[in-house]
Amino acid sequence: MPKNKISIIYRVKHWFTYHPWLKAIAFVLAVMVWFYVKGEIKQYYY
Amino acid sequence: MWKPILEIAILWFVIYHIMLFFEGTRAIQVLRGIVILLAAFFLFQKLGLEILDWLLTKVFAISVIAILIIFHPEVRQGLARLGQRHLFGAGIREEELDYVLRELGNATENLCKNKAGALIAIEKNDSLNAFIQSGVIIDGRVSSDLIETIFTPNSLLHDGGVVIQHGRVSAAGCLFPLTENQDLSRIYGTRHRAALGLSEETDAVVIIVSEERHDLSLVYLGKLYKDLSREVMLSRVKQIMTAEKKYA
Repeated sequence: MPKNKISIIYRVKHWFTYHPWLKAIAFVLAVMVWFYVKGEIKQYYY
Repeated sequence: MWKPILEIAILWFVIYHIMLFFEGTRAIQVLRGIVILLAAFFLFQKLGLEILDWLLTKVFAISVIAILIIFHPEVRQGLARLGQRHLFGAGIREEELDYVLRELGNATENLCKNKAGALIAIEKNDSLNAFIQSGVIIDGRVSSDLIETIFTPNSLLHDGGVVIQHGRVSAAGCLFPLTENQDLSRIYGTRHRAALGLSEETDAVVIIVSEERHDLSLVYLGKLYKDLSREVMLSRVKQIMTAEKKYA
């Protein structure tokens, strides 16, 4: 018998409830890093 | 327009998984500090505070090397985990798992009664092949008699751990890395330290029978569950082994 199957609804619910703060901080950091790198690229290549 | 969204999404995924990896370790406090410094860095840049901006840029450049040196155990564990993942799901069938657990239950109970110690690691997703090399290959069907024989005091293989892969006893007398956790009580000996060390580097489930206290403990992902009854220990192992994701 294979491992227990996990439903899509469970996965979606789990995605929102599992470390929501960590996800929010990671998102803010990702946006900050993206804008910073974009700024650096503009500064050096244009 | 879709390119920035994709880039941010990939960055988000990578940053989230780095944070998730360090969550629960002492490195998370440093990570929090880095997040605060990053926020300050951007604020200084926006406000045009050049001196503070320059200082923080230099601090970041040095801190990359400093972090690698200070957190080399965590970095090593992380890289080891990445390399140990099975490419294809190497699960164990449920009826096979039930059989293995029944035999393990009998073996650990008898070992407790006979005042013998034991260290048994059950492979989950991360490969334990690297640890098998330090022991003696057995490749035998799991049975209570086999495990009890291995852990009989004064037998040649009773020191070290047994590794179980895909429902078989792969090897005995294996050496596991010792934990560097300073918070662990001194009442726990090398066997518990080895179990914790292995569980910090892999997602193996480790069962310990204490030679001194004659009790059962379970270790998973660096957490020690002590003084368990046979039934509780077996149900926890089953829960962990059948859960697709990491179960804590």
